[in-house]
Amino acid sequence: MTFVSALIGLALLLTATVAVGVFMQWRQGRPSRHIVHEVVQPQRLGAESIGEFATLLQFSTELCARCPGVHRTLAAIAADHEGVRHLDVDLTNRPDIAKHFHVLQTPTTLVLDGAGVVRTRFGGVPSRDVLELELNRLTGENANV
Amino acid sequence: MSDRSAAPSRPRGIDPRGPRFAAGITSLLLLVAAFLGLTGLSTSSDLATATVAERFLDPGFLLLLVIALLFLWAVVSPRTAPWGVLYRTLIAPRLGKPTELEDPRPPRFAQGVGLFVVGIGLVLHLFGVPWALPIAAALAFVAAFLNAAFGLCLGCQLYLLLQRVGLVGRERPAAA
Repeated sequence: MTFVSALIGLALLLTATVAVGVFMQWRQGRPSRHIVHEVVQPQRLGAESIGEFATLLQFSTELCARCPGVHRTLAAIAADHEGVRHLDVDLTNRPDIAKHFHVLQTPTTLVLDGAGVVRTRFGGVPSRDVLELELNRLTGENANV
Repeated sequence: MSDRSAAPSRPRGIDPRGPRFAAGITSLLLLVAAFLGLTGLSTSSDLATATVAERFLDPGFLLLLVIALLFLWAVVSPRTAPWGVLYRTLIAPRLGKPTELEDPRPPRFAQGVGLFVVGIGLVLHLFGVPWALPIAAALAFVAAFLNAAFGLCLGCQLYLLLQRVGLVGRERPAAA
């Protein structure tokens, strides 16, 4: 292969990689609401109960660089909000749970309402502001009832 | 409120910028290796008739071999791996303290994935498979560059995928 076509090949490789990176980063931390609204039973995840108004259900693994940071963020949010609970489930030894919730990346965070229904899903690192917004939406609904 | 079962014997955290710095150097080396692979024996019609020694002495092969050995070093002994040492002695003292520490196992797992991908390319090249070198180098480059530039951990996601098909991780009874 000639020098020039090899350089063109590398340029294409670099461009494609940057495009993939930008796309993945854009998709990270965006909430998706068009999901199956199933009811989560906390006992199956090893927790006694869920939050009164909302639950931040985080899935982690041992080999996950961003999970501890998300854990701290979610724990802080839960501490700031009355009736909001944070559950962190380690999937390292629980492929059954990973399969059930179709978790293909960690961290994945589900926002449950007071009845345990999955309302919103975040793949990757959720931004704190968006999470606060989701929680306000849920507690707002609750106040209207 | 926050629940998490106490993790047993969690290894001491490392500065997360260390592995990203190492991934940056690795991606640069891989880009050069991909270039040498593209211009060298791997994509030329002489590959089929070349002897194993000639395939071995191809510059693209030699550089990728060095990268593979560096991957191996980082898997076997992450604390003494050259880019990590370089980061801790030269770069880290000039930066502020890290805001949070990271589990050292994910980057180590990722180095193993890199070794696997690059190793396949090296073996195939020795057997005379055309394009094996540049393709292996390009695949490893994508992963290393995404880690260095975007902090995306493909290793984490791969680990979970492998686990779902039951290759890694022990399955425990439901009483977790």
